[in-house]
Amino acid sequence: MRAGGKLLLLMLACSTLLTACTPVAAWERGTLAKPEMALESDPLAATLQNHVYFSKEASSGGNSASGGGCGCN
Amino acid sequence: MRITRLCSLALAASLLGVSMLAAALDLGMNAPAFSLSGLRPQDGVAKINLADFRGKVVYVDFWASWCGPCVVSTPLLNELRNRLVKQGKPFEILAINVDKKPADGIDFLSDQPVQYVTVSDAAGTTPASYQVQSMPTGFLLDTSGKIRLIHQGFKSSDIKLIETQIEKLLAEKP
Repeated sequence: MRAGGKLLLLMLACSTLLTACTPVAAWERGTLAKPEMALESDPLAATLQNHVYFSKEASSGGNSASGGGCGCN
Repeated sequence: MRITRLCSLALAASLLGVSMLAAALDLGMNAPAFSLSGLRPQDGVAKINLADFRGKVVYVDFWASWCGPCVVSTPLLNELRNRLVKQGKPFEILAINVDKKPADGIDFLSDQPVQYVTVSDAAGTTPASYQVQSMPTGFLLDTSGKIRLIHQGFKSSDIKLIETQIEKLLAEKP
């Protein structure tokens, strides 16, 4: 098979797989909204931990908490 | 060559299938009709139809017990509705609870009672036909049943905007 044909088959396979993607509708998010489904069980503690982490890390940052590296803000 | 053509056709068809998922309900369109059972005993045993509210400005509110902003919107909408109804204005709120377990919605309303009609759609047929994108979502309908405002999400300051739009529709001649 020619290269063009292979590419077309690949695109067809990908687009067919795309149709299997099912987004969770807004009204079906009851289970996802449960506290135990949260990525962070305690958002406040996670924010504080991130703040300390990125303040000490100095060279990085940009997560949910700000920090300039001095550990003072 | 023939296989290539067939593949191209199949590709186009599948891409069309994906794009068709994104069609949207828009302002000025007729609100999709529905007929649903009441959530609480006080909502009655008979099916409640959207058509029963024709001639009134109606705010169709999709909500769920697990939806955070609904805790804010429910008492504010109830206060607004009661105030307008007391003034004799042709306005009503029709709330659609989308909890999979209607008992969760009933529990929510026992903590935050509302005087407007609340129906249950555990199957999710109505939010699908209204293409609800977020919770809560309110559809403000004019007296002829056309969608005039789609309000997604809710924060306490939004009630002013909703009230302004309702007053505007109430002032329109049928």
